Amino acid sequence: MNGIRAAIRHPFWQALAILVIAFVAIEFGIPVLPDSADVPASVVLQYMVTVLVGVLIYVSDNEQRWTQFREPIRAVLVEPRLTPVRWSLLAAVPALVGWVAYGQVATRVEAPPILRSIHPAPPAEITFRSRPMTLTGLENPLRAVRDSLPDFVGEGKRIYYQNCLPCHGDHLDGQGHFAPGFNPLPANFQDDGTIAQLTESFVFWRIAKGGPGLPREGAPWNSAMPAWEDFLTEREIWAVILFLYEQTGRRPRTWEKTGDGHD
Amino acid sequence: MGMTKADRRMDGWADGAALLALLLLSAYPPIRLSAQDTTAGRAVYEKWCAGCHGETGAGDGPAAGTMLPRPRDFTGAIYQIRTTASGQLPTDDDLRLAIDRGLPGTAMPGWKDQLSERDRRDVLAYLKTFSAFFADTTQRPEPLVFGKEPGGGTSVDALRIGRQFYDSIGCRKCHGDRGRGDGPSAPTLKDDAGFPVFAANLTENWRFNGGSEVADIYRRLRSGLDGTPMPSFSDLIDQQFLTEAELWRLAQYVRSLSPARPPEVRDVIHARQVAARLPTSPDDSVWGRVERYWVPLVGQVMRKSRWFTPAASGVWVQAVHDGQQLALRVSWDDRSQSPDSAWLEFTDRVLETVARDDSTPPAPTPWPDQLAVQFPLAIPEGFERPFFLMGAATRPVYQWRWTSTPGGVREDSLSAAVAGLARGIDRFDPLPGTPLSAQAVYDQGEWRVVFSRSLATADTANQLHLRTGRAIPVAFFAWDGSNGETGTRMAVSTWYFLALDTPVRAQVFVSPILAAALALGLGLTLVRRAQRPRSQIRRRSDA
Repeated sequence: MNGIRAAIRHPFWQALAILVIAFVAIEFGIPVLPDSADVPASVVLQYMVTVLVGVLIYVSDNEQRWTQFREPIRAVLVEPRLTPVRWSLLAAVPALVGWVAYGQVATRVEAPPILRSIHPAPPAEITFRSRPMTLTGLENPLRAVRDSLPDFVGEGKRIYYQNCLPCHGDHLDGQGHFAPGFNPLPANFQDDGTIAQLTESFVFWRIAKGGPGLPREGAPWNSAMPAWEDFLTEREIWAVILFLYEQTGRRPRTWEKTGDGHD
Repeated sequence: MGMTKADRRMDGWADGAALLALLLLSAYPPIRLSAQDTTAGRAVYEKWCAGCHGETGAGDGPAAGTMLPRPRDFTGAIYQIRTTASGQLPTDDDLRLAIDRGLPGTAMPGWKDQLSERDRRDVLAYLKTFSAFFADTTQRPEPLVFGKEPGGGTSVDALRIGRQFYDSIGCRKCHGDRGRGDGPSAPTLKDDAGFPVFAANLTENWRFNGGSEVADIYRRLRSGLDGTPMPSFSDLIDQQFLTEAELWRLAQYVRSLSPARPPEVRDVIHARQVAARLPTSPDDSVWGRVERYWVPLVGQVMRKSRWFTPAASGVWVQAVHDGQQLALRVSWDDRSQSPDSAWLEFTDRVLETVARDDSTPPAPTPWPDQLAVQFPLAIPEGFERPFFLMGAATRPVYQWRWTSTPGGVREDSLSAAVAGLARGIDRFDPLPGTPLSAQAVYDQGEWRVVFSRSLATADTANQLHLRTGRAIPVAFFAWDGSNGETGTRMAVSTWYFLALDTPVRAQVFVSPILAAALALGLGLTLVRRAQRPRSQIRRRSDA
């Protein structure tokens, strides 16, 4: 008991404890926080170096603490009773250094980085079912028929559940039961970065032409998004788009008004 | 009317009192009130649940046809995943858990992070209104009470006892000898509504609807899966055919059929270079020492006809090479060795149940099982690749295709695999006289197919030249004939990578050894210096 109490006050064990606690907090604590993820190894290293510098400043801050701090280190190097500890460290530290160095020089084939533009620039014009269609300035025509809006949303809902659900999911968050099988992952419509910052005409283009209709920078060969013009009519696609905004409570980006004097 | 002033005043008082009472009620026991008021739950249900479970709760929403198992029909109040005895209603906690966590292996997601606590509570109250059974409050469903799991569940003895009961109470009839859901009764299974049901594949516990661990499995054994052919085994305990402890052993045995952790998906499949002879037989003992990579498969839902309910959830891939030849083994679970006419009725039921793009249902046929391994024609230099779903007319992909043969695996099964070019999902042109060979074995619900081919090829225009040290795009496709899979109805993966590793060159060891030696030298110097008598150090620094 006394030994533990003495150890708690001892700067060397304090320093060690701080380092261990910091490591546990960064490596295991941060990932369990809500909306958090695993900390990359390089960032862990950076954090740990910062903590180490702080600890060293603390222990060398006054002469007495510094002497006390070095005491166990010196003991390991000198004391005959600690010979086993000394030799284990002399074996373990170089082995660790060698292993880390090996990890640095040994190359392993890795997957090439994915250089994909998530929202590539849409074309000004597309051919929808062999009919030309201008996307610039295009609004969802169903919104003009205000009285029928609930019906259109209902129709869009039915189409969504019959077609889109396996990938984009019940919650429209891109976590359908097929989603884990695809790379890139299906779009998450609940996210701020998808339909909320796109015009309905852009969404129409993405649905109508799907993965195969992406420009080269969008990596069309990886996307499992079908070209829905093969399955759905123009009206059905507009109805689905109404449903996506209605269900997520998002508003589409609108075309900026021009010609009224101010931008 | 004949109302006096006093009456009117009284009336006013009564109104005020009622209003006050209402205010107090709504402020005070909020839980009781919301449990009775189901309008809030109805709004949540119609917004988030009706798409699958239907407006009337009959499990027939617009998405129902794309799912197997189908969404729960709430009107019958028959629930598979319960803590209560067979034939009883589930407890509120059972329903809450299903809503919060979802049902693994099905399309039902967990809603804990998606809906507020209040919404989930309201929707629970609402879905109970679909069946009159819940209205009878004299019958309160109670969870089955039983003891804790006995320890030592992974020991050889425990598993032996578990296995003994696996055989004696008839688990293998449906789940098969190795638990892959391939038992002799498997083709006959349907639920109470007549929909096809698969006997669970007990080697994939991460897909168990009611949870993956021993306690979950035990609870399923005790409660049964009502509405399906899976019975409760509680009566066997009552009849003293087995003890609780023995049933726990069975649960532990079932758990032992799956890996400790669900498989991790990795981008790159590494093929080690071996000096010895390459394993070209599917059961060569060498495969036991080669790392396995899990590649998940999902339904082909991009091109007509789409397929929403593929049988295979993934394939295990292993590869080794010797600098000249590549041997690639693909293993996957399949309940039937197709073509098998014993499964025709089941095939028919699946095709009847699952939504299709074509208006007339395809006639069930004893289709074979198939597997395709896909590569680009050449290893891409940039990041561009052919289209993952079997390329395109203008940009074909190179594929190895294996097809199961009728009457089981024969000696000439070498010829069942061909290399060829796919030019889109519906066009495959075999390349005659290619040096690809394949051997397959079907064993207790699992296919194991080994493809082997030389790394180099003379025909570089049509065939991939496999090179070491490169990330080679690779994709996999599987068809289960007895599940109605043929043509575009299949299970697909996206692009992964195959890497043919080379042995580590000796130079690579130089710097790590140097670094370790340096560290050791530094350490020794430090020790020597520290051990030198203090006086000596002082004398030297004085000098």
